[in-house]
Amino acid sequence: MARTPVGMWAALAGALTIPLSPSFSADQDRAPAAGQASPSLVEYDDGVQKSTPNGVDFTGEWAPRFHEDEPERVPGPELGDYLGIPINDAARMRAETWEASIQTLPEWQCRPHSADYIWRGPSPLRIWKDVDPVSRQVVAWHAEWLRSVDRSIYMDGRPHPSPNAPHTWAGFSTGTWDGDVLTIKTTHLKEGYVRRNGLPRSDRATLTEHWMLHGDVLTVAAITTDPVYLTEPFIRTTDYELDPHQWVPPYPCQVVEEVDRKPGIVPHSLPGASDATSEFAARCGLPVAATRGGAETMYPDFRDKIGFITSKCIAAQR
Amino acid sequence: MRRGALLFTGVALVSLGVSLRSQPPSPSARRERGAQPPQSPRAIAPSDFTGYWVSVVTEDWRWRMVTPAKGDYDSVPLNPAGRREADTWDPQRDEAAGEACRAYAAPAIMRVPGRIHVTWENDAALRIDAEAGTQTRVFRFGAPPDRGAPAPTWQGESIASWELSGRGGGMFGGRPPRPSGALKVVTTRIRPGYLRKNGVPFSASAVLTEYFNVLGPEDNGDVWLVVTTIVQDPQYLATRFFTSTHFKKLPDGSSWHPTACRAS
Repeated sequence: MARTPVGMWAALAGALTIPLSPSFSADQDRAPAAGQASPSLVEYDDGVQKSTPNGVDFTGEWAPRFHEDEPERVPGPELGDYLGIPINDAARMRAETWEASIQTLPEWQCRPHSADYIWRGPSPLRIWKDVDPVSRQVVAWHAEWLRSVDRSIYMDGRPHPSPNAPHTWAGFSTGTWDGDVLTIKTTHLKEGYVRRNGLPRSDRATLTEHWMLHGDVLTVAAITTDPVYLTEPFIRTTDYELDPHQWVPPYPCQVVEEVDRKPGIVPHSLPGASDATSEFAARCGLPVAATRGGAETMYPDFRDKIGFITSKCIAAQR
Repeated sequence: MRRGALLFTGVALVSLGVSLRSQPPSPSARRERGAQPPQSPRAIAPSDFTGYWVSVVTEDWRWRMVTPAKGDYDSVPLNPAGRREADTWDPQRDEAAGEACRAYAAPAIMRVPGRIHVTWENDAALRIDAEAGTQTRVFRFGAPPDRGAPAPTWQGESIASWELSGRGGGMFGGRPPRPSGALKVVTTRIRPGYLRKNGVPFSASAVLTEYFNVLGPEDNGDVWLVVTTIVQDPQYLATRFFTSTHFKKLPDGSSWHPTACRAS
């Protein structure tokens, strides 16, 4: 039987009677008055929908722009360069005993960058979303780089797991909207690094991110707090440009025997044996007090301490 | 079957009623209510940008906290003309020519370490004073004043707008546009200068687009100002030049101390 126009409208309106989470959650927050029935889950409240923040769509292929710290992010940082990072003595000791050849160990070769570091890494980024097929709400965002695991950011209000739950490279992330800024809290990170020259980040660290979309530019502020190795939160802001032609290539990492060494040998320097910070300082004409890092070095007044210096560093030109 | 069909029709009609109630008011209804006077940019500001902020230099330290070496233009997408120009850098020449502020112009000033002070100059103009080089920027909302063709200045002419969330429209109304949190600023008519202190150039053709976001407070109480900076310069840059710079909010201006421009 053919439907009348009125019937079609009724059917379309009926399709809107599904439980939508903005209405549901808002109604949950409002306790029904005495004598009133609980609000129906099948009512679509357009006013609630319009007032509930739903942010913006970050979906897409994002190309990294290395217009900050390119020598550190692509070829890799220099040994002994801790400039502007609020590390403590424990971090300094870990870094000074670090040897780059540790990355040739089978256990390290396919190790992905952690959620806090990966923004600063050298790879393209893909972001996509999970949409609930019934409510049509975004229930999770996903971010994936060349050398990373799929990172999920849950938007459905679920709690973080027990502190005893396993830690992973991506950690456990939940997101909320603040206007058009997506704020993400991440816990349960495995131990990682804040710079690829041995500066460590502990598995007690937490990460707060703010994703900001400005036209075809994505800016992400990543703030790492680490009670073990940092004396202050460590913030970095990084830019990506939308590139619809980009794709993230596969990364079929295969472990091979890179160095012929006896089992159990872990490349390292003994405490006090490395002079990387002083070598880096000498090469660049910088004070060792600066290259050793620490919170003081990230504030402008540190220049009053070191004076006006012209660096001698020139990285490889392209 | 018939009972199910009746239930469906009933729910659909109730829902249609809900939908009709949420339709936007008709034009005549809007006329009856009277048009609301437009609110000033200051009145609808989505975030509080005002106060004292200090730059936290965790990125590009070697190019910001000290003067980079001549010829060190790493990370900047210079074209060949830009590289040639950078290789002619002579700070003594700049100092002698009264051009010591070339590295403190609008495309670079937010990257120069120091404190900034943000205030409303009036209801439609936001002002930023920078310690570094004792520079002042003014972001005017709305059309630029008709002043003919003034000479380019270090800080140029800046037009501000609030970024809007949503465009509205659609079958069921959609969300009306409203300020979403970011301040967009486009600056032109900038006196040629340097993107970095070691003579990495931008030309008089440069167009600067910036986005300002206030973030937080974080769990420890920190409030951040993040500035995304995009420089376009067909004369010296091969592509758009992106940087993002972060400032932490200070409780007051007790540590404020402006400094003069230095060419080296």
